[in-house]
Amino acid sequence: MLHEPRATWRALLSIALVTTVAAQAQEGAQISGNFSSDAQYYNEDEDINAVVPPERLSAQGWMNLIYTYKNFEAGGRFESYEPALAGYPAGQPYRGSGVGYRYAKFTVSDLEVTVGNFFEQFGQGMVFRSYEERYLGVDNAMDGVRLRYTPYKGIRLKGVVGRQRFAFDNGFTKGAGVVRGIDAEVSLNELLDSAWTSPNNLTIGGSFVSKFQEDRDPLLVLPQNVGAGALRANYTTPRWNLYSEYAYKINDPSGQNGFIYKPGQALLVNATYSTRGFGASLGAHTFDNMFFQSDRAAPTPFDLNINFLPPLAKQHTYNLPATLYPYATQPNGEVSAQGELFYKWHKGTKLGGKYGTRLALNYSVAYSLDSAATNDLTTTRQGYSTNFFQPGEDLYFQDINIELRKRVSERWELAFSYLNLVYDIDIIQGKPGKPVVHTDIVILEGLYKFNARNSVRFEAQHLSTAQDQGNWVTMLAEFTFSPHWFLAAMDQYNYVTTGETFLEDGKNEVNPNRLHYPIGSVGYIRGGNRFQVNYGRQRAGIFCVGGVCREVPAANGLTLSITSTF
Amino acid sequence: MTGLKHFLPLVAGIALVACDKVDQPIPPGGGGNGGGGGEAVTRRVLLEEFTGHRCSTCPAAHQVAAQLKNFYGEQLIVVGIHATSTFAAPVVPPNPDGSYSTDFRTPAGDAYTTAFGVSFLPTGIVSRKPFNNSMTLAQGNWGSAISALIGEEAEVDLWVESIDHNAGANNVGAVVKAAVLKPIPQDLHLTVYLLEDHVIDWQINQQASPPDIPDYDHRHVLRTNLNGIWGELMVGAGAQPGDTLTLAYSSVPMDPQWNVANCSLVAYLYRVDGNEVMQAVERKFQP
Repeated sequence: MLHEPRATWRALLSIALVTTVAAQAQEGAQISGNFSSDAQYYNEDEDINAVVPPERLSAQGWMNLIYTYKNFEAGGRFESYEPALAGYPAGQPYRGSGVGYRYAKFTVSDLEVTVGNFFEQFGQGMVFRSYEERYLGVDNAMDGVRLRYTPYKGIRLKGVVGRQRFAFDNGFTKGAGVVRGIDAEVSLNELLDSAWTSPNNLTIGGSFVSKFQEDRDPLLVLPQNVGAGALRANYTTPRWNLYSEYAYKINDPSGQNGFIYKPGQALLVNATYSTRGFGASLGAHTFDNMFFQSDRAAPTPFDLNINFLPPLAKQHTYNLPATLYPYATQPNGEVSAQGELFYKWHKGTKLGGKYGTRLALNYSVAYSLDSAATNDLTTTRQGYSTNFFQPGEDLYFQDINIELRKRVSERWELAFSYLNLVYDIDIIQGKPGKPVVHTDIVILEGLYKFNARNSVRFEAQHLSTAQDQGNWVTMLAEFTFSPHWFLAAMDQYNYVTTGETFLEDGKNEVNPNRLHYPIGSVGYIRGGNRFQVNYGRQRAGIFCVGGVCREVPAANGLTLSITSTF
Repeated sequence: MTGLKHFLPLVAGIALVACDKVDQPIPPGGGGNGGGGGEAVTRRVLLEEFTGHRCSTCPAAHQVAAQLKNFYGEQLIVVGIHATSTFAAPVVPPNPDGSYSTDFRTPAGDAYTTAFGVSFLPTGIVSRKPFNNSMTLAQGNWGSAISALIGEEAEVDLWVESIDHNAGANNVGAVVKAAVLKPIPQDLHLTVYLLEDHVIDWQINQQASPPDIPDYDHRHVLRTNLNGIWGELMVGAGAQPGDTLTLAYSSVPMDPQWNVANCSLVAYLYRVDGNEVMQAVERKFQP
């Protein structure tokens, strides 16, 4: 039986209003909140196959309201999608207007109790992470009860139970499965207090999460209770941070793994070292059959995820690498590694010059699992066997990049970046038959300060590849007139190749469709309010946050964004 | 640390219900005519499978539909609705080898896609009744949703009395009958689909290598509706057990490219309020 959240909300709101009235004469009561909205008007544009919804105008908005009084807190979020922007959200549709999140929380002594919606994470999230990523359109908030308890300093316990947000239809709707979890963490530094004299610290933790979903499948015997556990350790010194976590999941047949019964497991290790002017990190992980959703038949990979598998690749912010070929974590199986170096030549040195020079090197790589099919789908349905932490033969992704950033004068700062990517677009973006993309990207960024308040920042980016859509150029100029105004113009040009024809994906010779994607922006900031208007073409692409990516359709039109905080 | 006692029941509880280890995933004796049987007329289930020839993950769903059809037999009626411009429209510009040039879409399929909020493929709708709070279901939930309905005692029986295919004029007519078994609380509309089975054409398949398959066997393809997108009233609210109702259709044109030997009619009755399909039946042109 699924519950209707609106009735609960009305009850909570009533309590909050009564409490507000009662608290008016008392000191310490506070109400805070924020608002954000995006609206887009869509033009027809056949050249880019622009999406045009029947309504022509899409508008979505959110408002958070939080009431706090002493050790009590209650809050909620009103959401409106009339309708949602094209391509939003990543998973199930959001429709209509209503309450998307509401909760009440109080703390007594060492115990914190939350009822209603909450976000929570155990360790790195490999067995449990409930979170919202607004602009990705991912929200798997829990609706239930959470307890946090500190029985002794340095010992932290958490317990959660509830269902996850699934979609939005004039209010949030919940998924079919129930999620239960516990987490315990011990920090030796805090626990031993004065007996621990070392500047180093060791934190160890463990968690266990179980989901329940009824089995009514006529063709398979499905586990109704599926459990997953994880152990973690974090050792820190003033310069070192060493972290490792291992997770194991029992048989969890689902739509994402083809309903196989093989257990899942994951291991990640990460080491970072930092000192003044120098930093280095080295990490590796393996994920094997680690999709973990509270509905085994969740419609998309974005829905009802119980866990989160952190990416091990640099999250680029420049337009071309960020939106054309970003890496998305492969929960069904990958073996990845990443190394990063950061070095700063201080000012006054030969390479540092008058203002200093910064260098960043990054290398990341992701392979398939070393696995072999077991051909047992009519018997035990294990699906495949693997050699733990052994990379397979398929290279999913490789990124070699370098960034050199230097302030060259009082007014000028320049940054140069080079990226070399290998990108299996078939696996990462689900485009079967498309060849692996090999690309070189060169970026020059500059900042010129006219004076203390006004500046211009520009970017010139070039991407070359013989696969997929061919070559791209992006030019960007962004003027800032502090403290209120900014103005920007950008053009992306898919010039494909300088020849008359283009060997698309190295196979079909086609006439290139050379397209410009110009867009202009103007923004105004004052007090707690921010307004931004864009007009122009939006290229179809990929938008990623934390290794989770959604497709953005091509569009042409006017967008308005407003944010406000009080 | 006395507060630990609050957590111990939680820990113990979760540990006890944590995991179900399954060693034999396939139920014994599985397959064949599940759900039906008995003397009473039971409710047959309609699975409308939204798919597309350029949807690379759809063939996996076709397999699930085939397994369920094999399991439930005539108790389950499967309809393949090719939908969305992204996955079912002909490729533009046309490919040199002519692949993906067929337009499998229908006005009815487009209307259902919009009306039921089909936002992803592959997806399915089971007798147009929400399951786990969702009308559109991924294939992993089809079996569960079907098992929740199939075999229920029916409030109405439905059958295609006759199919009249005029080969010369290449059109079709049909007589559809309904018999009321329980008092009918709401109006029931009848919609009649014409399906073509075993349409051989291109299909992209993520699991195949190479993924582009030129001779894919498209099953249960919706070709047209005999009586409009939303059908017409057949059983009015208040109908009583013993009432028998008949609707007839004649001279509905057929595309000459359709293979009559593989065609069938699917008739279903649904509640106008809420769209739930209460009874469905399929009859082939040529038994």
